[in-house]
Amino acid sequence: MALLELQNVSKHFGKLAALSNVSLEVERGEFVGLVGPNGSGKTTLFNVVSGFYSPSGGKVYYNGEDITGLRPDKITSKGLVRTFQSNILYKEATALENLVRASYLHSNTSSWKAFFNSRDYRENEKAIFERAEAALAHWGLEEVRDVLADELPHGHQRRLGLAVAVAADPELLLLDEPLAGMSGEERLVVMEQVRELSNQGMTIILVEHHVKTVLNLCERLLVLDYGIKIADGKPEEVTCQKTVVQAYLGAEEVVDQCS
Amino acid sequence: MSRITSSFSGSSIAWATVIVCAFFFPFYTEDAFVLSLLIPGMIWAVGCMGWTTIVRTGQFSMGQAGFMTIGGYTSALLAVHFQLPFWVTFFVAGAAAALVAFLLGTIVLRLGGIFFAIVTLSFAEVIRVFASNLTITKGSYGFIPPPPTLDIGSWSVNFAVTKVPYYYVSLLFLILAAIVFWRIDSSRLGRIFRSMSSNDRLSEHLGMHLMKYRVMAFAVAGFFTGMAGALYSHYLFFIGPTLFGLWESIMILIMCTVGGVRSAVAGPIIGALLLSISGDYFSTLVKGAKPLAFGLLVVFVVFFLPGGVIDVKRHIQRLFSTEKKSERGLQPSA
Repeated sequence: MALLELQNVSKHFGKLAALSNVSLEVERGEFVGLVGPNGSGKTTLFNVVSGFYSPSGGKVYYNGEDITGLRPDKITSKGLVRTFQSNILYKEATALENLVRASYLHSNTSSWKAFFNSRDYRENEKAIFERAEAALAHWGLEEVRDVLADELPHGHQRRLGLAVAVAADPELLLLDEPLAGMSGEERLVVMEQVRELSNQGMTIILVEHHVKTVLNLCERLLVLDYGIKIADGKPEEVTCQKTVVQAYLGAEEVVDQCS
Repeated sequence: MSRITSSFSGSSIAWATVIVCAFFFPFYTEDAFVLSLLIPGMIWAVGCMGWTTIVRTGQFSMGQAGFMTIGGYTSALLAVHFQLPFWVTFFVAGAAAALVAFLLGTIVLRLGGIFFAIVTLSFAEVIRVFASNLTITKGSYGFIPPPPTLDIGSWSVNFAVTKVPYYYVSLLFLILAAIVFWRIDSSRLGRIFRSMSSNDRLSEHLGMHLMKYRVMAFAVAGFFTGMAGALYSHYLFFIGPTLFGLWESIMILIMCTVGGVRSAVAGPIIGALLLSISGDYFSTLVKGAKPLAFGLLVVFVVFFLPGGVIDVKRHIQRLFSTEKKSERGLQPSA
């Protein structure tokens, strides 16, 4: 059974077809790249899968369960977490507080116990804060522990955004251009951390405009163009397909790679 | 969490001092005029803490007067028609307002921003119209709820003659509400509310059920606002459809803005006491001065303290740190 399955998913905004009959399956543990020109529907696909939009047609299954049109918080609680293209954090909170808030699903006591400050609740809170501190260390953000997210340099913000998503304990992680705006050195560091997540068994779908990054990281490539899936397969095969070349990659790259 | 603990330790002495002073204040003076300035201020402070809690989930209510009306009428009607003691009707009033808040919130809290504000404003007006036209509420004339009675053994507390018993009931009510709202704000619930208000899209994608927490905050605020309405109407010996109207909803907003909504407890209390006391005091000197006093204070705060009075401490700290930086600049480098 595939971890994620889309069956003929479409999304229309008025007369604009952002997604048209997209069907795909992602198996557990895969590291899939999702590429396509601007406006091809990559973020719309993430929005439909994560529950931000309801599809106009088709079905989305996660772990065999129909999650079509479910609320985003319900979908996240099942283990499907996504990041956002415009780096979204709690801007007025510190890096530590961002990670504590992101650990919401690790709260295992009721609101009543939280209100009455029971022992279970205090122990749970202690565990959540320790987990957040450990995440800061893992992502190299200890130095900015008490810095407001809004005041962090761009690269730190994107790293924190990634850390926030991972803190929600995903089984399937949808990354929407996590490396955008990063310096070369930062990209390498974060790429390694993302590769490490995949090596530990996390299933990842990565949207990234930097083609070489995607080719380096991903074992499978999905290509969208005008909301239609035009290719699905190994990177070296997909990049040689004529439709992909015409839509996205450019003729010179085809000559280099496919000769 | 360690910062919350340390701030509690630091300010707990201040709070304890204020509470002790407040308890002994009537021993200093039983002057009816002075107490008549403090009692409404304490009651409005509870309404303000409720409104601030709703704002801290990212929602903006313009209908809190509606819950005060529901609370006031519920308590008065139960006291008059069923001869129930105030100590029962007070809490039933809160429960009734909370139930209405829960039902209303479940429907309208899906709306955001200005739409929610408009709907809550309309709700308060609908409640006023119902109260003006129902026979049981005596229409636009209103009626007189009986004063509370308290008999402990042979000792009887008379609420009808002096304001001192109302002062202590209001003070205990304020302390109870402050503890509840402080506890909510400093727990995981407060963290969730702040997350939602800061970034609701991210919060939803991190697993938070937005509607559940919005309705929770709205219902808790409704509970205490309903009780505030009950206490106020018994204090005034009157409940009528225009007792709590649009001006009262706006007044709560102004009190919280002046006090500061960054704080769940101190800001609303400071704002309510400051405005209620100064407004009532100045209106005894000059007729109609209350709205003028409110307006001047709001303008002052918006220009000089946009975060509210509660932000004074932060401004002073920033001023001192700026002075320290300029001193370092004058010293020769090592």
